[in-house]
Amino acid sequence: MPARAAVEALLRDRKLDRTLTSTLPERLGEDAVAPLDTDALDRGLAGGLPRGQVSEVVGPSSSGRTSVAWAALAAATRRGESVAIIDTFDRFDPPTAHACGLDLSRLLWVRGQAISKTSGAIDPAWLPGVRAVNGPGTFIERVIDRAIKSLNLVVQSRVCTLVVIDLIDVPANALRRLPASTWFRVERAIEGSDTAVLILAAMPVARSAGGRSIVMENREPAWKGDHDRSRRMAGVKAQASVNAARWSHAARVDLSTTVLNAI
Amino acid sequence: MFAALYAPSLPAAALVDVARAYTPRFEQLGSIILLDASGLSRLFGSAQELGEHLRDALSKQSPGDSVPRVAIASTQTAATLLALGSPGLTVVMPGKEAIALAPLSVSVLDTFEQVHGCSGAPSPPASQRTNTRAPLGGRHQGPSPKPQVPSPDQTGGWHHPRSTHQASRGKRRAPENRLLEILTKWGIRSLGALVELSGPEIHERLGERGALWQSLARGVDARPMVPWVDEIPFEAALELEWPIEGLEPLSFVLARLLEPLADRLERADRGAAVLSTSLRLTSRTIHSRTLQLPAPMRDPKTLRTLVLLDLESHPPDAPIDIVRVFIEPTPAKVLQWTLLERAQAAPEQVTTLLARLRALMGETHVGSPQLVDTWKPGAFTMSDFGSRISDQLQKPDRSIELKAALRRFRFPIPTRVVVQEGRPVRVQTDRQGFTSGAIVQAAGPWRTSGNWWDTPGPRMKSDQKSDAWDRDEWDVAMQDGTIYRLVVEREVGQWFLEGVID
Repeated sequence: MPARAAVEALLRDRKLDRTLTSTLPERLGEDAVAPLDTDALDRGLAGGLPRGQVSEVVGPSSSGRTSVAWAALAAATRRGESVAIIDTFDRFDPPTAHACGLDLSRLLWVRGQAISKTSGAIDPAWLPGVRAVNGPGTFIERVIDRAIKSLNLVVQSRVCTLVVIDLIDVPANALRRLPASTWFRVERAIEGSDTAVLILAAMPVARSAGGRSIVMENREPAWKGDHDRSRRMAGVKAQASVNAARWSHAARVDLSTTVLNAI
Repeated sequence: MFAALYAPSLPAAALVDVARAYTPRFEQLGSIILLDASGLSRLFGSAQELGEHLRDALSKQSPGDSVPRVAIASTQTAATLLALGSPGLTVVMPGKEAIALAPLSVSVLDTFEQVHGCSGAPSPPASQRTNTRAPLGGRHQGPSPKPQVPSPDQTGGWHHPRSTHQASRGKRRAPENRLLEILTKWGIRSLGALVELSGPEIHERLGERGALWQSLARGVDARPMVPWVDEIPFEAALELEWPIEGLEPLSFVLARLLEPLADRLERADRGAAVLSTSLRLTSRTIHSRTLQLPAPMRDPKTLRTLVLLDLESHPPDAPIDIVRVFIEPTPAKVLQWTLLERAQAAPEQVTTLLARLRALMGETHVGSPQLVDTWKPGAFTMSDFGSRISDQLQKPDRSIELKAALRRFRFPIPTRVVVQEGRPVRVQTDRQGFTSGAIVQAAGPWRTSGNWWDTPGPRMKSDQKSDAWDRDEWDVAMQDGTIYRLVVEREVGQWFLEGVID
């Protein structure tokens, strides 16, 4: 036992005891989470996205996962925070995001490579001002690698308090090939800080011990108007299942998104 | 306590050298040097002893028989006026300035204005300068009863009111001396006489400038002292013994150049506004880069990182011989933060992050989006992140409903669409990862068009791209639940997938 006490004391001195012999002190108060300003979702998330943790929103296409991420970004900018989106394939649409309540002046938008035509190859002449993506691996892998590097730069700088990385259109096999250390590094960079990281993907990717997983499912489009000529899209209804490592069961949330006239 | 040194026979540089030997806080006013003598008594004794020290130091420098003038008073105006008007050494006790100044000629105020330039004595409006109303009434009429002083020739420089007046008579006077002419006509020849006039009435007749002259005649300071600052450019250069290639060795050279410059910036309470790097290459060409910094900064590590990241994007094409760094300084930014809002990141952090991201992703792919004044779908421009943050925070008082997001394909995906009775019923695309098949439900068309007035015509150059659009939009739900935004370009009849509603 004295030997164990000595090792623990040594670890404590070197500040290496936090993940081995004790946990980080839990953040208390309303500042511990980043709320989304949507009652149903905030209840499901137990207040909001936990700061200093990696969370994720996953689900099939058109299930409202991007809407949830934008709602989180909009709520953060309403609080006066700076936010960032790492847009791997340049899918972000500023006019729609503005209509969703996002203050664009507080958003750092890191645009990845928009892929043109049907192949992965990209013609530099199509994208003036964009640096050629060279290096080992396939084109998609190099684009993802850049996005991950950007994410690391943003979280290490501590400039933004909510960072969303959009990996929705990344093929599943490319996502699986990402080493687990990628996400450990991100977790380590934001541990104990005010920054929350949200991964936006089609399938579960990573979540830190204190993070949340929002899984969107059972989506159903809602229409208005009975006749073909008068019909318009009203929104999407979906269910979200919110889970965390220490929760005994997932919280289920009914969500509905509204299609804006602006889009 | 201030000391004024006046030695017309000495060059200004010699006067500055004398002043620098006594205090770092001094101001040059033309041919007069004004010293801040506060605290010098510990080194040089009383004001009288300090004055004698200064006079002796000036005498050693002065050629021939010319006698330097030294005046010590509690205000800089009194010290300057006494140095201009009194020969030798004059020491005035605090509170006795008006008495000491009273015998001096009013013409000394004119000289005072000349040495101060426009900063100390603002010139009045034209209407006030030409004010030639009657002299003040009452007991202030006529010449001052104060005793006159000897002529400058006899006393080595006294300004005799009458002699000045006589010398000026018959000459064409500059507009700036109009006030002096009026005072002389009124019979006001000494500062004492000017002080005795009624303040409001002198303001009424002579305007702001007249009131200022009266205030100066009492020895009151019109502005604080502006100490001399050595204007040494914030520049450093290093000639290398061997040419260097690559950015890693250059970073050590930059650190060696930037650290002393950052120290100097800190001592001067300045920050870098513009950072220029000039590299002379072995090909005898100069590779120059200039960084406009968004906020004044002086952290050497940040500055070095910014230069290196910029050079990473724009590398020199030959080894480097000489490295030169030039900084344009600007007053350091002082901000009062609020305790009620979340602290923002330091400008150094933001600038470094943006530079790193730009080096990785490209210049145009990092920043904040900005909407443009158009109805064109998806139109935006990029601006610098953090350059236009709005102060208005909109805190919601109720739950906000989710709005559907549109994931826009920056390059719309061409697709084949089967149309029945004017409505799309089937979508087919060759692109991997996109749903093809029958359309379950469709809403539309929503027709938009714009900028058609800019369509290519005889006046438009062949390489100029038209910004016009004319299209129908459809929201379509596929069998697997995906909702696409489908667009048909009406002019060519081509269908595109524009985005996914998510």
